[in-house]
Amino acid sequence: MANSLNKTSLLFNNFALIFIFMSASLFAQPDFFSAKYRLEFGNYLYAEKDYLRAFHEFRNVLKTIDNDTIRFRLANSLFKISRMSEAADNFKTLFFGSALSEEARLMFYQSAYFLNDHKWFRELTEQENYQTTKYKNEVERLKSITYFYDKISLPDTNILFKPFHDSVHTRLAKFYKQKKYPQYKSPTAAAVLSSVIPGAGKIYTGEIGDAVAAFLSTAALAYLAVSNFNAEHKFRGWLFTGLTAVFYGGNIYGSAAAAQIYNARIRFNFENEVKLYFEERNYFLPRIDF
Amino acid sequence: MRLFFLIISICACSLSAQSDWAKWEAKQIPYEIPASHQQEYKIDSSDLGMTLISFAHNTYNFFVSDLDGDNCPFYPSCSSFFVLSVKETNIILGTLMFADRFTRDLNFFKGMNRYPIAANGKFIDPPSNYTMHIQKIKFD
Repeated sequence: MANSLNKTSLLFNNFALIFIFMSASLFAQPDFFSAKYRLEFGNYLYAEKDYLRAFHEFRNVLKTIDNDTIRFRLANSLFKISRMSEAADNFKTLFFGSALSEEARLMFYQSAYFLNDHKWFRELTEQENYQTTKYKNEVERLKSITYFYDKISLPDTNILFKPFHDSVHTRLAKFYKQKKYPQYKSPTAAAVLSSVIPGAGKIYTGEIGDAVAAFLSTAALAYLAVSNFNAEHKFRGWLFTGLTAVFYGGNIYGSAAAAQIYNARIRFNFENEVKLYFEERNYFLPRIDF
Repeated sequence: MRLFFLIISICACSLSAQSDWAKWEAKQIPYEIPASHQQEYKIDSSDLGMTLISFAHNTYNFFVSDLDGDNCPFYPSCSSFFVLSVKETNIILGTLMFADRFTRDLNFFKGMNRYPIAANGKFIDPPSNYTMHIQKIKFD
């Protein structure tokens, strides 16, 4: 009887042990830091546009898995968070022996474009080993756009407008005209005008209120100087003469400065207008994503 | 007993009654425009000229500007503009830039002059915009 009880107890113990092991293995957590889970999480973050964290996940995945799509997504994540230099370098890794080579080349040029070194960008488009056949026209468009931002003289319209569709030529012609013949004001002319009549240079630059204030302040100080001399108040006469000279000179200088500010504003507004126009149209580039 | 409660009630009312005097008394209202920032008195000792100018600027701030309140509609204020202009250029150009700024301050319609506006409502007008270097001009 005792022997039978021992056997039952042993069987029960064994059963309990097996049950515990089985349940432990059933409820064991998967390795969330494995490449598979990291990739899934990275893709989720990428879809949610959380590009910085997606980049970190993709970077870890690429330590164990080499995949062109992941590399493209990693580079694109860097592009989306404006780390253009790193994005360009990562797109470069897909240039050879990859099915995404052409897309990577276009994205490489896009990243390089946003580094805002337009002269370097134009030189880059000439490099044979970087050139794309599928997106040649798109790259040429980016190259044409850079001319609108630089101080260098614009090339002929036939060359500049060639990569663009005919429907946008009218708008581009307007930008071309604005860039080539800006409505600048001459600082010298503004200074000369103000030296003849205080405030005239300010009228020339469109600052009517400042012009009236300049004319009245100079005239009032000059009147005070003359009236004090006439009243034999020599000290006050010379004091107001000095102040008149300072305000007269200040107005001449200020008119020249106002002309320069006017010119800077014209350039600033033009660059903003061009930037906004191309940004709204994604620089006439296809949206590439995988 | 009734009389006692009546007296107590009247006394209690008069004890806790509000004084009209406290309600209607004259208040000390400060009409000075509060300064948007704490004035720092610093002497720029980079050279003798700047030391003298910053000393004069601090004196003006202490005896005039701080008592008068934060009235200049520009940022930096006209007196600071003068100091910064001299520092950025020289005493002659700095003086001319200041004279021009002062004239622009006299313009009643300066709000129409497309100055960028700071968070404290002042017109942003840095001296770097008037140094005749187009690269230094900023609109934001």
